[in-house]
Amino acid sequence: MSSDNAEAAKAELFAYAKKRGALAVGVADLAAIERIAPAGHRPSDIMPRVKSVISVGVGGQTQGTWQVPAKAMAYFGSTETRAYACAYGMAFFIENRFGAPSIYCPPDMDNEAGPRVPLQSLKLHAELAGIGARSLAGDILLHPEFGYMYFASVFTELELPPDEPMADNPCPAPSCVDMFRKVGQTPCQKFCPVQCLSGDIDADGNQAEMHYDMAACAEMSQQYESVPALLAEALGAEDQAAREDALFDPDHKMLWYKMSVGSGGLLAQCFECMRVCPIATRSPASDPIRRRQPS
Amino acid sequence: MTQGLTRQQLGVTEAMIATYGATIFRLSHNHQIRRGDPIRMKDFAAIQRHRGELGMSDGEIAAAIGLNERQVVFIRNLEERRRFRTGHYHRLNKLGGGKRYRSERMTPFQDHFRYGADALALRAALAFEPDQARRYVEAGYWTGDTLRSWLAKHATERPDAPAVISPERTVSYGELKTGVERLAAGLHDLGVRPGDVVAVQLPNTHEYVESFLAIAWLGAVMTTLYMPYREAEFQTQLGHSRAKAVIALAEAGDFKPAATLMALKDKLPALAHVIAIGAAPAGATSYAEVAACGTPLPEDLPVPVAADPFLLLYTSGTTASPKAAPLNYHTMLSNAQAGVPEHVIDADSVILSAAPFGHLFALYAIKLAMCAGAATLLLPIFAPPAFAALIESHKPTHLFAGPAHIAACLGAGLLDKHDMGSVKLSVTSGAAVPPDLVRAYEPKLPNGRVCQLWGMTELQAGMYTRPDDPVERVATSAGRPSLGTEVRIADEHGNALPLGEEGELQVRGPSVFPGYFDNPEASAATFTGDGWFRSGDLATQAADGHVTLTGRLKDVINRGGVKYSPQEVEVLVDGHPSVMQSAIAPIPDPRLGERACCYAVLRPGAALTLDELCDYLTAQGIAKHKLPEKLELRDELPLTATRKVIKSRLAPSA
Repeated sequence: MSSDNAEAAKAELFAYAKKRGALAVGVADLAAIERIAPAGHRPSDIMPRVKSVISVGVGGQTQGTWQVPAKAMAYFGSTETRAYACAYGMAFFIENRFGAPSIYCPPDMDNEAGPRVPLQSLKLHAELAGIGARSLAGDILLHPEFGYMYFASVFTELELPPDEPMADNPCPAPSCVDMFRKVGQTPCQKFCPVQCLSGDIDADGNQAEMHYDMAACAEMSQQYESVPALLAEALGAEDQAAREDALFDPDHKMLWYKMSVGSGGLLAQCFECMRVCPIATRSPASDPIRRRQPS
Repeated sequence: MTQGLTRQQLGVTEAMIATYGATIFRLSHNHQIRRGDPIRMKDFAAIQRHRGELGMSDGEIAAAIGLNERQVVFIRNLEERRRFRTGHYHRLNKLGGGKRYRSERMTPFQDHFRYGADALALRAALAFEPDQARRYVEAGYWTGDTLRSWLAKHATERPDAPAVISPERTVSYGELKTGVERLAAGLHDLGVRPGDVVAVQLPNTHEYVESFLAIAWLGAVMTTLYMPYREAEFQTQLGHSRAKAVIALAEAGDFKPAATLMALKDKLPALAHVIAIGAAPAGATSYAEVAACGTPLPEDLPVPVAADPFLLLYTSGTTASPKAAPLNYHTMLSNAQAGVPEHVIDADSVILSAAPFGHLFALYAIKLAMCAGAATLLLPIFAPPAFAALIESHKPTHLFAGPAHIAACLGAGLLDKHDMGSVKLSVTSGAAVPPDLVRAYEPKLPNGRVCQLWGMTELQAGMYTRPDDPVERVATSAGRPSLGTEVRIADEHGNALPLGEEGELQVRGPSVFPGYFDNPEASAATFTGDGWFRSGDLATQAADGHVTLTGRLKDVINRGGVKYSPQEVEVLVDGHPSVMQSAIAPIPDPRLGERACCYAVLRPGAALTLDELCDYLTAQGIAKHKLPEKLELRDELPLTATRKVIKSRLAPSA
């Protein structure tokens, strides 16, 4: 495919994605991904003849969602399925329109490594595609215009010209830098319920260091240990009442409920770092209400 | 199992886990450090340099430390299982909706309040019959009200309204709440926790009301020690209740309660604090200091709810088998709430109790006041002249007094000397009320009525007469059941008897306690198989619902197979001009089994023979077989703290 055709195809794909609800689309530098991602987690490990990696980003939750109690937000704060639907459609679209084999990149976990290791890093794809930059909030990607997005990837044998990563990182926002100067913490660091975030900001107001205690975060947000732990607790209980408490108390029954409705990782989503993030909540197009208003 | 292989197949040992586990955990994604922004900048050298900090894949870790990838996967997952704490998502439950996490407000879950073993044992005693509980909730008798919610409501809505009045000062509801909160916080500072028992031995002072409400505010449980109690009673009751603290006077006349309690501490392992009003003896804590606490209660402390116990009151019972009634808000406050309109109490009422606050009858008066937002007028220690003078000076609308209190005032002519015009209702209870007392008392209240109330520690106010009942009904009956209370008169087999027949008074209702604390034998004996509380009182019920008490079930004389209650005879004997107090009890008889002996305390200078007494009783129309066959004159009779005669201690002189 000529470069002109490639650019035209890329534009057509981007238009498709935006029509399907994406706020941002980009093509990542495949060579860079292959170099950065560890063995076994590179695009070619999934699709050996892959030529391009397309990343799409959809907006986060509605503006009203930021106001609700955390326990309610845990259920509907995520919009990742919208991103998956967009990418899934794009893979079909590429095959139909351009005849190039394509896949919707599985966002799921690597069977061989356990529940905390993904097959692919969608975050890496999006960052290299230029639609997000790593934040002080545990490397959650942020965009200066769209704020906080969910990402999905498409792998295709269609060769497309890659985009560059974002030239600037919107994180930390000026107000966060001010707060850091005054109290030594940014909002995301201060209000994390498990205090899993810390770091430093340099004299120019850029990220110097980001420390992310993912274990602490996972204890809150990915409680895969809870289910086997409570079974073990029940097995080791001293008496029948304690055994039944271990299995049937309301907290534990919530785990059964969340498993039975197939909510997967939604054992307890936590959005507190994003709730206080000015980029996530107040970027020009992060707010669905403002997105509908003429600029 | 990892990738289909077991620990044995992988060759992973505990030694290997111990050796490499921490390193693998640290190198993995579980802790990530990013310096600068190398990925966005495509700074591959920096990425490679910091790969260990960014979080390595299992394969990278394996290569770095010399294990195979499967071993690393196994060990990392095992480390995550062992290290990760579960249940942290609870932290989200209080966040959002404008609330943000603040570390200084966060109490680790393991540090949250938990009830002590003694508190849990007491809570376990509140085992109500489920169907009855459901009925009381559905009928609206059992609500969510607590003393704390009532006090908070009045302090918010009418902060300046008088709550507690004594001759020295008037404390408003707003001030009362402030004092109660401080004392509750002070008790918490001492180590008293929700569910703990706190004993109180005080006269009817402001401190008593404040202590009662502060203990309730904290969620603790009050047990009352009667004022005449001394070492033996202290030890029995504090030991059985596992009281953690006791509030008492430093000095009560010649007696030093706080010092006496301090001396008992070694024998009472649960008793941690003696709080003294007045000069605290060595080792005791000053009430004033506790009440001045400025530290608010911790936020994670459970706020008391209606199902919680808040009183543990002792009835009779022997030292070896104390009978303690655990009472919760459901039972007590539903009963008080029903009593407010029946006793014509409103927010402008002023309630004076001559009965000591150590008795449920007097605590009932406080609860009525708290329910209506009325004022409680204080008379620390009953003395007839002070009682009558206080009525005239502070004009209470409601009196709560025992028949002995009223009789003493009547006998001294005090009710004629003082203005009783403020009194709308005088509630008498605590012992059998002689009909003549009611007849004599009623005319002394120019604007009020007399109410006879029957209650027990186990159920508070079970029956009472209403203000519109005719005086003869008030004089001769203990009233009709309180709202929600059911009564029946039953024979010895538990069969309900027809109206007018004498039998045991049995009660069921939303105010009835569920059973005695730590005394299953007494509890089993107290309830019938179908859930009725056996009062032990003999009674009859009339067609209009009024119940007349005729005696005590166990207080029966069996004279040659003819059984009768001596109570009606005692009432007549008490009416004899020479008699101040009397009691009739059986004495063994080889022929008849039992005969009646009358024990009497005569008025000063009076004299009485058995023949004179029998002539008098015969003239009153008493049946011949009920006439006492022996008369014992005594200087005094053995009395309980509630001033009832202890007949078991009566025995004729040789």
